[in-house]
Amino acid sequence: MSAESLGFSPGTPEWIVSIVGLLGVYAVVIFPSVALMSWLERKLIADFQARVGPNRAGPAGFFQPIADLLKLLQKDTRYHWSWREGLWLAVHTMALYSTVAVIPLGSSLIFVNTDMSAFLPFWAALVLALGTMLLGFSQKSVNGWFGGVRVGVQALAGALPALVCMLCAGVRAGSFRWTDLASSQGGLPLGWTAFSNPFQFVAFVVFVASGLVLLSIAPTSGGLSRIDLHGGVSAELSGRRLSLFRLGRFYVFFLWSVIAVVIFLGAWILPGNLAEIISQQIGPFSLAVIELVCVLVKAYALMMGVVWLSRVVPHGRVDQITNFAWRVLSPFSLAALMGAAIWAGWRALL
Amino acid sequence: MSMAKESRNSEELMLADLSHWEIGPYHGALPGQMCLRLTLDGEVVVSGKVETGFLHRGLEKAIEIHPWRAAITYADHLDPEAAVFGELALCLAVEQIAGYQIPARAVAIRAILSELSRVSAHMLHMVKVANSVGAETMIHYVLRDRERVLDLFELLTGARFSLSFLRFGGVRNDVTEGFIERVLEACVLIRARIKEYNDLFTFNRTFLKRTSKVGVITPELAKKTGLTGPNARASGLPMDVRRAFPYLNYPSQDFDVPVGRGEGGAVGDAHDRFLVRLREIGESLGILRHLAESMPAGDFLCPGVELDAATPETVALQIPPGEAYARIESSRGLLSCHVISDGGERPARVQFGVPSVAALAALPEVLKGIWIEDLPVVLSSLDISLAEADR
Repeated sequence: MSAESLGFSPGTPEWIVSIVGLLGVYAVVIFPSVALMSWLERKLIADFQARVGPNRAGPAGFFQPIADLLKLLQKDTRYHWSWREGLWLAVHTMALYSTVAVIPLGSSLIFVNTDMSAFLPFWAALVLALGTMLLGFSQKSVNGWFGGVRVGVQALAGALPALVCMLCAGVRAGSFRWTDLASSQGGLPLGWTAFSNPFQFVAFVVFVASGLVLLSIAPTSGGLSRIDLHGGVSAELSGRRLSLFRLGRFYVFFLWSVIAVVIFLGAWILPGNLAEIISQQIGPFSLAVIELVCVLVKAYALMMGVVWLSRVVPHGRVDQITNFAWRVLSPFSLAALMGAAIWAGWRALL
Repeated sequence: MSMAKESRNSEELMLADLSHWEIGPYHGALPGQMCLRLTLDGEVVVSGKVETGFLHRGLEKAIEIHPWRAAITYADHLDPEAAVFGELALCLAVEQIAGYQIPARAVAIRAILSELSRVSAHMLHMVKVANSVGAETMIHYVLRDRERVLDLFELLTGARFSLSFLRFGGVRNDVTEGFIERVLEACVLIRARIKEYNDLFTFNRTFLKRTSKVGVITPELAKKTGLTGPNARASGLPMDVRRAFPYLNYPSQDFDVPVGRGEGGAVGDAHDRFLVRLREIGESLGILRHLAESMPAGDFLCPGVELDAATPETVALQIPPGEAYARIESSRGLLSCHVISDGGERPARVQFGVPSVAALAALPEVLKGIWIEDLPVVLSSLDISLAEADR
């Protein structure tokens, strides 16, 4: 990321730029996204379900997420709270904070852009899933225990197909560097990796589905939303801890959608040479903002699609979900990888 | 559950051996206040014990110590989700003793209320099953349409729940203006919506996977535990009190008795219980339509019977000495009422026989071998009312 394009003077030390950048991403992207998405989700789903939805806090209930946050912050927490739970909630939170450094939000809004940077958020997501599992284990309750086990087995089941699908995108781009993955795609849907050939489309669908399994996101949220466990791991959390936990849940979903957008849905690439024109005519800062909006809009749309689906379809049992991941998603991901590799090799020969 | 017990449980779980889990009396997966003592092998239930009685209100005793007329209000509270059935069973028994001749119009109004209650209760069952598998949209769609039935209750009786509309000898009021037309409208609407439910939910692949072959009740188990109503019919036993021991004007109604056919995979599984109730809604709509179209004229109360007026001068109702037993088909099965009168101002004894008790008796067998994630599915599919079981 060039510090100058974001308004820093040329001599500013890199660590200051990084810290300000990270805080900026939180303040400008993550928190507003939480609020906006939870409001959008509640309003749109209410419309789909012939309900009214939030309509008291602000115009059309726009400030409902803030009201919810303030309520959660005021609430008393549970009396019994062991240091182990604190530890694992901290691990959970650290996973949450650390991935912000690797989340790609535009050609100039990348903190870490190495050859293997596409795998970094992936491992962070696994850490988050395992952190959730151990948080559940440390709660000494049936809900936490079973919720934790379910989150853990789902993370394992979803990891393989998700990894293989990421390889598919890498095969096409020839690299796992964020900028390479993005620049290998076009600005219009037909130029996106997902629609470049049938195998990549399968890889995209499997990537999104296995991400939901990996991270226990509804409709495959076996360990976290079932009424037999009162919400599993989150059953024992309340108040500030619950809001932290929920922020983490939202964040991984958001993270996964952003990765899917960057590697499969055209990233921040604008049609034609629009990016160049904007950069020259208006300035690099405006380009960064437009690219950010481009990524966010696609990620929100993907998230809304998943949320919509999760509210309509019945939710599967954990053994059915893991079965699905191992026996349907994994073979499809391997077939997609094979096909994508042959396709790429064929293109290279031509 | 105490903390000590919880920690012991999770230590036992670490041994990967059998563990014990005590759920209740308050838990979202349970149909009401009850306690389940489960022995688990991993996530699979090995055995379960049921403890009830948390919702005991002394209903039958309360009926005995209050005047006859108050009994209706208590019977109404037998099962708050389908209030009219308790009232109806009591009224039929008392009227047998008193020898009241119920006018045809009152009979028709009672039958309309019964069938509306059945539709409303079965829709609530669909909501519970949808909730147990996390199909949120289905919940809201069915609740929206159930409001139409509750609107009809309000139009007729002034209350949406706890109607207290039946009286010994008839009903409290004649039908409200426009009620019959709205019943017909609601029938058309709900019939159209059933098709929507089927498209959205009933035969959804995931829903089938969650409910087929889950919580199977064999016909033998159903007979052994005395299961009646939709639960027994789902297991292939076509017993319906409206057919077997007709009451009201059901002999003149044309309706089918749906039975479980094992479309989900096994006869008597959770999906069959859902499907039987869904089909019963359709049959009830047919009955309602016929009742509304052939509404007889006349009185709504037996001649010579005084309607209660809450004034100090009201003469206490007296029922001649005698004993009677009445049974009806409630939304959950056979609901019976045994009344003994000693000729005084209060009932000497009133006893209800309720279908949920049989469902609770079958529960320990049904729970064996299910996953704990299926627990809400099995419990909601049985449509147990703890209010009527504990009474």
